Amino acid sequence: MAMIEIRHVFKWYDKFQVLADCSTQVEKGEVVVVCGPSGSGKSTLIKCVNALEPFQQGEIVVDGVSVGASATNLPKLRARVGMVFQHFELFPHMSIVDNLTIGQVKVLGRPRELAREKGLNLLARVGLSAQAEKFPGQLSGGQQQRVAIARALSMDPICMLFDEPTSALDPEMINEVLDVMVELAAEGMTMMVVTHEMGFARKVANRVIFMDGGRIVEDDAKDTFFGNPRSERAQQFLAKILHH
Amino acid sequence: MNYHWNWGIYFQTVQAGEETYLDWLISGLGWTLAVALTAWLIALAMGAVMGTLRTLPGRAPLAIGNAWVEVFRNVPLLVQLFLWFFVVPELLPRDLALWVKQDMPAKEFVTAAICLGLFTSARIAEQVRAGIQSLPRGQRMAALALGFTLPQAYRYVILPMAFRIIIPPLTSEFMNIFKNSSVAFAIGVLELTFQARQMQEDSEQGIETYLAVTVLYFLCAFLANRGMAFIERRTRVPGFIAAGK
Ligand SMILES: Nc1ncnc2c1ncn2[C@@H]1O[C@H](COP(=O)(O)OP(=O)(O)OP(=O)(O)O)[C@@H](O)[C@H]1O
Ligand SMILES: [Mg+2]
Repeated sequence: MAMIEIRHVFKWYDKFQVLADCSTQVEKGEVVVVCGPSGSGKSTLIKCVNALEPFQQGEIVVDGVSVGASATNLPKLRARVGMVFQHFELFPHMSIVDNLTIGQVKVLGRPRELAREKGLNLLARVGLSAQAEKFPGQLSGGQQQRVAIARALSMDPICMLFDEPTSALDPEMINEVLDVMVELAAEGMTMMVVTHEMGFARKVANRVIFMDGGRIVEDDAKDTFFGNPRSERAQQFLAKILHH
Repeated sequence: MNYHWNWGIYFQTVQAGEETYLDWLISGLGWTLAVALTAWLIALAMGAVMGTLRTLPGRAPLAIGNAWVEVFRNVPLLVQLFLWFFVVPELLPRDLALWVKQDMPAKEFVTAAICLGLFTSARIAEQVRAGIQSLPRGQRMAALALGFTLPQAYRYVILPMAFRIIIPPLTSEFMNIFKNSSVAFAIGVLELTFQARQMQEDSEQGIETYLAVTVLYFLCAFLANRGMAFIERRTRVPGFIAAGK
């Protein structure tokens, strides 16, 4: 069974259709990159996976749990799915280490000391041990995003969702974040990543999904996607972002 | 001007009794502080709840929050006080009404504190709502994505930031609550304004009386302001630049 199953998902904002018949799946240990033009529904789709956005039709199953079912305990489900946002969204009034412990303590019920130790270990892992007692506003964008990844990892997630994790960063900080993600992929983390970093996709993706107008128009193995995408839209898109 | 100045009046004993006028003023100040601070706690709690309601998904919480704000904001404070004091007890069930009217301890004080607290809560609710809405939407999402329930997201992420952002308008509310507490004299709370009227009638030294009272109110509001400035410094988030500033 796939870690994430997306079956015939439709979503509307009032009359406006954002997602149309989206179906795909992410196997355990797989890295799936989602790309597509602005407004194509990438963020919406990925946010449907942990129910940050509701959808009206279809089904999404994460590790055997149906996201849309009314009986599903959403906080519990979300606690198992790590999410990283474009604008980091660290909690600005908490120190870095507190950002890494609050979820563990308040959601998972871990003892504070244990949570802190885990948080510090994760900080070391993303190379930010020295920043533990600082506040998010005192860190660079790249550092904040690495903390955000560490915060998601602190919950021991079964899979990770990334929504354009590097697109708010200055170019010189993009790699420090991608490096952490590459490492994570190498360790076998299941990942669904909205990004236009095609270098990252080439390096670690198993599959690439291309969205346009709320539809998944291309869902290929990486080599097929980069070698020979079937749809014209995907070809144009690739040509544009690979040659700028 | 034919006014007979008497700066020693504060230390003279009152017409019928042992205390000095200063004792009256100090006891009045005590009740003013008691009314204002109790009302402040009520206002903060209810303001946080009602302001939060107005930012929740769904129509019902919004409607409740809006109604709360409109009711307490659109009726004059003094009229609200009389409503609480004279009208509300009549609307209670028989036994409760009787208890309120005859046996409730410190009835005037309790009424004034509740009235002023709820009046102020409407204004704080408005500020809390604005504070919450000024936060990036992603903060709520990030909190939920971490596995927080909505109440936890408010408790640990949204409200702590919202309250930091609204400290400046909260400061003026905190100063207002001391000043507004003076309406409590109208239902017989023995607070500063009440004692001032009593002292003026008893001593016939109006200027000295109201000068002292002015200074005391001024000090209350001034210290409230300094206190909030202290809290603002203590809770300042390093490196955080408030949105829209
Ligand atoms: N709350 C909303 N109400 C109405 N329409 C919305 C809302 N949020 C998003 N949309 C619309 O839904 C469509 C898909 O948005 P989405 O954010 O998923 O696109 P995206 O592919 O992530 O784009 P980008 O690359 O710009 O992030 C867009 O046309 C957007 O305008
Ligand atoms: Mg997006």
